[in-house]
Amino acid sequence: MGPDVLVGAMKLNERSVAHYALSDSPADHTGFLRTWGGPGTPPTPSGTGRRCWFVLKGNLLFSFESREGRAPLSLVVLEGCTVELAEAPAPEEFAFAICFDAPGVRPHLLAADGPAAQEAWVKALSRASFGYMRLVVRELESQLQDARQSLALHRHSSWKAISSRCKPQAPDCWSPGLEKGHSLPRDCSPMALVEGGSRSGRGLAEWELQGPASLLLGRGQSPVSPETSCFSTLHNWYGQEIVELRRGWQQRARGEPGRM
Amino acid sequence: MRYNEKELQALSRQPAELAAELGMRGPKKGSVVKRRLVKLVVNFLFYFRTDEAEPVGALLLERCRVAREEPSGFSISFIEDPERKYYFECCSEEQCQEWTEALRRASYEFMRRSLIFYRKEIQKMTGKDPLEQFGISEEARFQLSSLKA
Repeated sequence: MGPDVLVGAMKLNERSVAHYALSDSPADHTGFLRTWGGPGTPPTPSGTGRRCWFVLKGNLLFSFESREGRAPLSLVVLEGCTVELAEAPAPEEFAFAICFDAPGVRPHLLAADGPAAQEAWVKALSRASFGYMRLVVRELESQLQDARQSLALHRHSSWKAISSRCKPQAPDCWSPGLEKGHSLPRDCSPMALVEGGSRSGRGLAEWELQGPASLLLGRGQSPVSPETSCFSTLHNWYGQEIVELRRGWQQRARGEPGRM
Repeated sequence: MRYNEKELQALSRQPAELAAELGMRGPKKGSVVKRRLVKLVVNFLFYFRTDEAEPVGALLLERCRVAREEPSGFSISFIEDPERKYYFECCSEEQCQEWTEALRRASYEFMRRSLIFYRKEIQKMTGKDPLEQFGISEEARFQLSSLKA
């Protein structure tokens, strides 16, 4: 019949994959879909397909027999694929196909229950790749850097204004407490410290998944604890601002022409 | 569980974030160290026999734990069975450092958390949602609510 050597199947850490599928990790989309794919199914899809519960997590599409399924039936890794509307075996099936450019790979044909579901699935699956997420992350990373740089420039000029009014101080003292309870003109707001900055990093229990804060810390940032004198200077300066702002609001509330 | 092996094999041929020949030992008791070409592609770690084009296997890196193992190696284990470890031996401290850092960032979940963090930070600093310009601010995968505590 065929070759008598059975080619070894590629190994996968299936138990971990299944555990991940069932875990509380975020699902990007879920719903019932009809499927015609899988080994043992005829190469030409026919009939109404098999209705399964599908869960999309990141770039992984899992199917289950039911919503309460305790083990995934299948996994489709969504890399190197495109998603297109498709003709199902019967018309008006709200079908779409996941098409891979890998050689010898048939498209995965799926069908939703209605046009809205079909559109939602096509959108969700089209944006599922790791590469897409990485692009968006890198874009935001560079936007954040730009925002920080322009804030630093602003801060620098604000600090110059402060030091001409108060005692001269090092410009690097910020306290997270200042962020709370003071409403300031935006360009004077102290930048919030990296979230959980003092907690993130290598010293954590290893199961704490490495958070993005460690990215910033890794680049030489560190939360700076302000000296008392520095803090009180900042406090005084902001206090002055608050008093002036409050005066302005009160004047306006009384119908008097005021500042601002 | 069925999975699309052919597509995974094709993925293993894509440009890698990191690739090197390392010593590798599986989690089973009594397994020995073997030389493997190890390749990090998106959130999968593929490993090949050094003279073969198709991978022996793949590890999905979601919810994995990467730990240093002396002298200059590391292990990968998974949250549901932390004692079951895949061991890797590097040729230097630098290589080990490079791999452990790359592997810790190699999950989709890590990227998701990074994105949500950056989005919040930018919003705080500029008052604007940076995703609006792309028309994707409502997408499920970018929502803070998608993260559990």
